[in-house]
Amino acid sequence: MNPEFESAISAFAGSAALISLFVILAMIGTLNPYHRPAIPVLGATAVILASAYLFAHTAGIAADSVALRLTMSEGVLALIDILPLVFLVSTYLFLRASLRKRPEDPLLVLLDSE
Amino acid sequence: MSLWAAQMWLGLSVAVIGISMHRTGPAFRRHPFGAPVALLGLAVMLFRIEEPPQPESGVVTAAIGAAMWLLPALAGSALVLRGAPLYWKTRPAPLLAGWTLIAVAWYQYYSVMSLVPLDALRWVSTLLGVLLSLTVFMLCVRTAERTTPQEPETERLSEKERKYVESVLRRHLEVADEP
Repeated sequence: MNPEFESAISAFAGSAALISLFVILAMIGTLNPYHRPAIPVLGATAVILASAYLFAHTAGIAADSVALRLTMSEGVLALIDILPLVFLVSTYLFLRASLRKRPEDPLLVLLDSE
Repeated sequence: MSLWAAQMWLGLSVAVIGISMHRTGPAFRRHPFGAPVALLGLAVMLFRIEEPPQPESGVVTAAIGAAMWLLPALAGSALVLRGAPLYWKTRPAPLLAGWTLIAVAWYQYYSVMSLVPLDALRWVSTLLGVLLSLTVFMLCVRTAERTTPQEPETERLSEKERKYVESVLRRHLEVADEP
């Protein structure tokens, strides 16, 4: 397979698997009595397993725990690669926030009008 | 999987759980354990006695390399958010310090970056992977919400509750409470 294409598929599978892992971890971190986590956890797990299978198929290795680790590692590297893009957008938003004038708070106006 | 590889993944997981915990609660009083748990996770991930095996050692090396510009970027972003007129009036000192750190972060990134045309393809693929994952999550949440039986409509706030909510809003929007 073309190495560029293989690298792109690895980044796709890795980022999908890692974000799904983050979704599961975020649900653990924010667990509360009103949570219904079963279906989202099942969905995220399915994405992780499918991504690991896709990665293993592309790399020509067995779809086992090593493939899962490689997929997740590829996900971390892919996300680190796009962090500068995220920082670029954030810098623009910070610039807008720094230059704007603070608007009157509609909640206070609402309270004062009562 | 070796012990050191497991330690890296455990540290990453604990860090993400800590960050998620920190996001719970109202903006003016975050979860007290969120930040300590996240820092503990980072410590578990980065401090180790032996070098972890591949591919984990590559991940740790890349994370440490990115930290060179990511740490000033995060600190600068936090300071700019404190100094910008978002929740309070403009505070020039943190705003200036924040922008200085953001400039340092960009300089650091510029001095170590090595972009090739192939990176663009990887970026698009990564963004598509993130999008797929979040779309599946949103569809699952929608399904979970649709299958949850509806609760009856809540009663209106009593006069005492209304006054309490009003006082909370006034306090946290920096307006003196009514006597």
